[in-house]
Amino acid sequence: MNKAQKEAYKRDYAIAKEQGKSFFPYAIYKDMIVATFVIALIIFLAIWAKVEVGPVIDPTTETYVPRPEWYYFFVFELLRIFKGQNAFMPVIMATFVIPNVLIGILFLWPFVDRGPERRIWKRPVSMAVGVAVIWFLCYTTWKGATTPEGGGSLTISVPSSDTEAAAGMKLVEQAGCLSCHNIGGVGGAVGPNLTDHGTKTKGLDFEIKHLKDPQSVSPGSIMPSFGAMSDQQLTEIATFITGLGTKYK
Amino acid sequence: MATDNTTNSATAKNIGPKNPVAQAGEDVVNFVDERTGIVGAGKWFLFRNIPSGTGWFQTLGFTAMTVFGLQAITGIFLAMHYKPDASTAHASIEAITNEITWGWLVRGMHKWGASAMVVVVFLHMGRVFIWGAYKYPRELTWVTGAILLTLTMTMGLTGYLLVWDQKAYWATVVAVNIIAQAPILGPYIGAILRAGPEFGPETLSRFYAIHMLLIPGAMVTFITIHVALVARLGIAETPWSKRRLAVEADEAAGRRRAARERIAHGRTPVPAGEPAPDPVRVEAES
Repeated sequence: MNKAQKEAYKRDYAIAKEQGKSFFPYAIYKDMIVATFVIALIIFLAIWAKVEVGPVIDPTTETYVPRPEWYYFFVFELLRIFKGQNAFMPVIMATFVIPNVLIGILFLWPFVDRGPERRIWKRPVSMAVGVAVIWFLCYTTWKGATTPEGGGSLTISVPSSDTEAAAGMKLVEQAGCLSCHNIGGVGGAVGPNLTDHGTKTKGLDFEIKHLKDPQSVSPGSIMPSFGAMSDQQLTEIATFITGLGTKYK
Repeated sequence: MATDNTTNSATAKNIGPKNPVAQAGEDVVNFVDERTGIVGAGKWFLFRNIPSGTGWFQTLGFTAMTVFGLQAITGIFLAMHYKPDASTAHASIEAITNEITWGWLVRGMHKWGASAMVVVVFLHMGRVFIWGAYKYPRELTWVTGAILLTLTMTMGLTGYLLVWDQKAYWATVVAVNIIAQAPILGPYIGAILRAGPEFGPETLSRFYAIHMLLIPGAMVTFITIHVALVARLGIAETPWSKRRLAVEADEAAGRRRAARERIAHGRTPVPAGEPAPDPVRVEAES
């Protein structure tokens, strides 16, 4: 807005205010009604859907589903889309680029849309960006909410003589790996699909190192560390996943 | 005697000495007002004019602030019974939920209140966006609002871990890993959040301090600035209010007339010698 437009705005707003109404009681009574309604709704929800206590933290072996609160589902869904499948789908898109672009738009919008026009139908760029952001947030939140949680029982056949791999398969089911990883059609989709992992693996030692501290061998990974497990358990898991798609199908 | 007194004071107001209680109250108000000017400021705040098109959509900001107040109150009660230690946190949450009187309700309200606050804050932002209310002179009001939105989201993230259960723990491990993967500053922020290289018992104290002290303090600060700016600049007029539509119809008619009569037409002609009124000054005079 240039100086003339600013002056025109000030003049117009002064007239609007002069012809307006007193904040008390004309605006505050509406505020009070809506705020009371929302608080009543919160109390109703607290009674209707009682809050529960989940199982206590066990950083070693327990089934868990790393699901965030619903208002972070959009990041969760982005992780499902950008898994580093190829050079165009790096994980950093989901973890850094897209969230920060959204934050950038949020903070800088008043300095982008600066004209004097305030009617939404005469601000096509604002309208387009607004609709796009609302659609994106609603869609990804909805997708994140409706995608079935990972977990379940594996349908991989491991020869019973191979005790190490059989134990590893059990651990994979128990330690929550399937919340994020998919093996043979069972499990989540946040992490890479491990069905044919045996064909891509860099060896047993690499897998153990990766389980202990994923970021040390795979920078940019968001996988939690499983260093709390014993070396025996880590070897069992590594044995199982290095044979996936080759020995165990 | 008592009836005599009341009839006397009702019929003969302002004559003779006042009821000592009323007198004491008035003295206190006068004492404070003389030193702070709070009566004038309060009257200005309550009786300042707002544009007449202001309606139900403009109640969301006040509602967000009220829900923040509710979160603060329920949060204080939860803090009275919560034990921020990795070995006792989960048991104290269980006690709040199952043993302490009304504990389940207070915790339920705090949890649902968090979701409600995110919803109300987003609706409030959407309202401001559609109304174009972030435009001159309210850009900084929007920026403080954007800060408050990110703080609200951070509150949800840090509070989620405090219940110290499996779901919250692993979700937060992944969330902190996400933050730590950001280029340049990411690893440092990750280390600050985790209170070290590994996620562990120390992380709980860190999140507790952030959730209970750092962010609430920042939120109170920015809510104060946000509301002060709204009061100073006035609430934005609805762009399609009756008055605005009349002004626009007037301008369109003027433009048509100018085209017909082949004369120059300015947006709004300013009468010569009359400077534009400063909204703040107009307020003080009225």
